[in-house]
Amino acid sequence: MVIKVENLVKRYGDLIALDHFNVEVQEGEILGLLGPNGSGKTTAINCILSLLKYDKGSIEIFGRPMSPSAYDIKRNIGIIMQNVAVFEELTVYENIDYFCGLYVTDKSHRKMLVDEAIDFVGLNDFRKFYPKKLSGGLLRRLNIACGIAHKPKLIILDEPTVAVDPQSRNNILEGILKLNKDGSTVVYTSHYMEEVEHICSRIVIMDKGKTIASGTNDELKSMIKSGEKITIEIFNFNAKILSDLKNMKNIVSCEFADNHLIVKSMRGENNLMVLLEYLKSNNIAFGKIYSEPPTLNDVFLEITGKELRD
Amino acid sequence: MQVFKVFFRIIKKNLGELSVYMIIFLVLAVLLSSINTGSQYNEFAQTKSKIAFINNDKTSALTDGLRDYLNENAIIADIKNDERTLQDALFYRDIEYIVKVPSGFSDKFYNGEKAEIEITKVPDSISGVYMDNMVEKYLNTARIYINNMKNISGEKLTQYIQKDLSKTANVNLSAADAVQTKKYLYYYNYAAYSLSAILILGVCIVMFVFNKLDIKRRNLCSPLKNSSINMQLILGNLTLSLGAWLIIVITSIIIYRKDMFTISGGLFILNLLVFTIAMLSISFLISNIVKSRPATSAAANVVALGSSFIGGVFVPQYLLGAKVLTIASFTPTYWYVKSNNIISSLAVYNAQTLKPVFTNMLIVFAFAVAVLAITLVVMKQRKTVS
Repeated sequence: MVIKVENLVKRYGDLIALDHFNVEVQEGEILGLLGPNGSGKTTAINCILSLLKYDKGSIEIFGRPMSPSAYDIKRNIGIIMQNVAVFEELTVYENIDYFCGLYVTDKSHRKMLVDEAIDFVGLNDFRKFYPKKLSGGLLRRLNIACGIAHKPKLIILDEPTVAVDPQSRNNILEGILKLNKDGSTVVYTSHYMEEVEHICSRIVIMDKGKTIASGTNDELKSMIKSGEKITIEIFNFNAKILSDLKNMKNIVSCEFADNHLIVKSMRGENNLMVLLEYLKSNNIAFGKIYSEPPTLNDVFLEITGKELRD
Repeated sequence: MQVFKVFFRIIKKNLGELSVYMIIFLVLAVLLSSINTGSQYNEFAQTKSKIAFINNDKTSALTDGLRDYLNENAIIADIKNDERTLQDALFYRDIEYIVKVPSGFSDKFYNGEKAEIEITKVPDSISGVYMDNMVEKYLNTARIYINNMKNISGEKLTQYIQKDLSKTANVNLSAADAVQTKKYLYYYNYAAYSLSAILILGVCIVMFVFNKLDIKRRNLCSPLKNSSINMQLILGNLTLSLGAWLIIVITSIIIYRKDMFTISGGLFILNLLVFTIAMLSISFLISNIVKSRPATSAAANVVALGSSFIGGVFVPQYLLGAKVLTIASFTPTYWYVKSNNIISSLAVYNAQTLKPVFTNMLIVFAFAVAVLAITLVVMKQRKTVS
């Protein structure tokens, strides 16, 4: 086991930021910490990294207790902070060299690692650029390069794609998958469920400092009642359709807006076919039809009663 | 030494802003020190006043002797013995002094009667006083011989007087290096301003970067010990301070050459070193208080300029009011400049004369220690809050 957090409690006065939070990270996995803003993800990461003192609980990394002076443990951790932490006064190369130098003292080895990191994040054309000259996306890539240049066994990324353009976001996500493929264990926090769904092998959903659900993507979705969401374009809508659908078996909710009927069904039944048969038998003309499987947002919504992005 | 290296990369990136203070200082210091050469002299050359000597008495050894004596120490102008001509010559400063020997003077003088020489001179002139002294000295000497050697011949009398008055004493001007000291006094006084500005700006710029929360946390996540990071930062600050001090000292050696290799030169250098330590301490405190980059420049200008103005860097301390000096005494700049002024005026170096200099240096050093203690309290307070 790479990380083991047990009953972690962190309070800021009356506010409980972490409420008996538990998490385990296995070697070689990408664990996603998913939760809305203020759910305690960054607090948990800061406690794990010993940047914050906590009130109760225990944290072990690589099987040893984590503390501010656990330098041997820190040597094998790569951290990519939520805010870009680079020196404005240093070039791209100098920044990566500085942060890599905190872990690797051998100059020639470090040079090789820095070059590899620059290659990895695709900043070869910007080696001599100062951070001010970089776009938001490139800056995030630099931040990642600074965190992973020393080839750590454990990489912790705290919302690394905030305010990043789609191209850089894809580059970052693909990079994380590659790092994991090369042997690094990854902890990835985000409030973007699509990202977490895309890259994480296991997901922990957090709310109000607690773990509310954990498992693989499929495991989480199988925990809830909701099934697919069906959207049908209807041209001659009347209120009877809504009341008929609401009375149908397996339909959780339905609503009509902007010529679109949105129907949420229960998990595991063949709802699309039932719906299409209803429309056909009642001679209701329809256009495009979309069927979407449940998302992590649905999981969060069903467990907490609120949207993930609230 | 990653932190140490980055320290100087940050300094290098801001070298333009920092060197402005050094360039301004060097230009100002060189210009002003060459203008302000001081008012002391290390050479003496006798000047002779132009006088008129009118003898209305009979020719005697006494009056001839007086004329000869005055002729040795002044220039006797050839002017017509006419009251109006003499007055005009005095008015137009063709002459500065008129010695008029009245009729019967010699006889009266030999007989011990009251005999006075008529003197007319330019009012309140230095040459007038100088000539008064000479006439008085000659007549007093003559009087002593006449009173004590009855029937002394005129020839003998003038011989004795001449011998006595020709005696001189050699004088060595022990404070001869005072003129040069004055020159580097200005240099070292102005150094206080530039050094303050450079240190506050330099230390604040770097510490501001390393104190940024994101950078600080990122460093804390690394296997580099916090104590090692702090040590490297302290080493960087010390190197920066000593570097600035060294540049000022080396420049002073280039400008004033061997004069800097004197006791006073050494004292100036030592005084600047103590001041550098105090300013480093103050800079460190400011770097822990200032919260933005523009505020750093503002703090550098306000503190450096403010303390320099009231401390006597730009305006001599003797021209500043008592209240201003009282306020200034709460800054190390005041004590630094005070020490410089004392060192500059010293001609003799011993325990007694050097005591006030070292006392002032100790006060400046005490500032460094006190401010450092306050800084540590501020840092601890911040740590507790965060």
